[in-house]
Amino acid sequence: MARVTVTVRDAGGHTATATADYTIGRQPVLGGYYLSGGADPTADMAGGNFRSLTQYRSFADAYIFPGYNRPWLITLGQSGVMMNMVLELKHYGAPDGPQTFTVDGTTYTVPAPSMTIQQRPGTTWPKAYGYGQVVSGQCDGLFARALSQYRTLGFGVNIQLASEFDTDHEFGTTEAGVPYTWAQSDARAVQAVNYILTWFKARTLPGGTTFSVGIAGFNRDCFRRIHPEELMARLDFLQWNAYATNASHTALARFRRTKDWAVADLGPVGLSRPVLIAEWGVRVAEIPNQAAWIATVPPAIVQLNAEGPPWIARTNYFNSGWGTLTPKATGLAALRAAYAVPPYV
Amino acid sequence: MATPTVTAALNGSVFTPGQQMLLTVTYSDADTQPLTVTIVITDAKGNSSAPVKTTVVIDPLTLTVTDDSGRAWSRISDNGAVAVYRSVA
Repeated sequence: MARVTVTVRDAGGHTATATADYTIGRQPVLGGYYLSGGADPTADMAGGNFRSLTQYRSFADAYIFPGYNRPWLITLGQSGVMMNMVLELKHYGAPDGPQTFTVDGTTYTVPAPSMTIQQRPGTTWPKAYGYGQVVSGQCDGLFARALSQYRTLGFGVNIQLASEFDTDHEFGTTEAGVPYTWAQSDARAVQAVNYILTWFKARTLPGGTTFSVGIAGFNRDCFRRIHPEELMARLDFLQWNAYATNASHTALARFRRTKDWAVADLGPVGLSRPVLIAEWGVRVAEIPNQAAWIATVPPAIVQLNAEGPPWIARTNYFNSGWGTLTPKATGLAALRAAYAVPPYV
Repeated sequence: MATPTVTAALNGSVFTPGQQMLLTVTYSDADTQPLTVTIVITDAKGNSSAPVKTTVVIDPLTLTVTDDSGRAWSRISDNGAVAVYRSVA
């Protein structure tokens, strides 16, 4: 990898510096995986060209790195599997209410989460730490706890903030009794992400640490709002998810939908970032032959990357929910076959 | 005096050998101001020269681009806020 460094200096000697990294030569796209429930994927990945993994943790959880009873994550990471750790303000993995805990000798008290997200009518709305709580510093202890654990892993990871901001905000959010529209929630999330990035980047991070924000990528306006250039300058990846949930869905169309919006709407900084597909999957109810669909993914990624930036760098199959491989053995075999050909090799 | 700001973006992250690489640099400084100075010489009798104008920049910015792989980057445009540099992979 090469790095170009730009320095601007004024007459008084004040300087500012920016860097951009690049690589010469065709690099394989990393084929990746996620197993339902955050379960140990080692057996499923063994012998296949799986080089990337997505994991989900709540900042509320006292066990983020490597996770509760997840020593295999360290083993996989040390063997070179690139980790995409989705860290969510969404509250799970701990009892509702305030938390008091000690991190490296400092005791923190973090209040109960004050926001609701994913406010789909007729459902129970999940709780999350509020964007106002974040920017007012009330969640600093959660970040300190996560960082302290992260430093013991022994390798760098990508930290993806939130799983899908569009899913979280689609029906608005409510914090401390105040309702916010989808667009308002997006703007508040960008502020909170900036706060979290500033918090982490001010501290010593393991080498190879990168950051991204999570988005499903189903709404163009939201995608644009979540990716202002000033924020993208602080992030290392673009990210979206790609699912086939209709018999008419082709791999090329599903992976390209959000890319086309990015190309049309984002600035040069955003488009210079490679793409991390944290989740992709095929829903068996509409597409019974999952294996055949999976086989069309490698040529689709080859074509999209040949068309120009942003360059898709990692694709992690989501073997859960919509993407559940059924039957599992057939789906896994198809995934192994797909990851054994270009652009994955 | 304000601290300048700068961002750098490449037109991709992976390039094939021989491919053109473009680096877009966006920069600014709150102190940087263009000024136009107009000078008129007047003698003791009140005769004045024609006015001449010259422009100066208060607190101008200088940009430097370095590459740890040793590639040379050449400036192909710079409007005072956005500069574009080119190199070849």
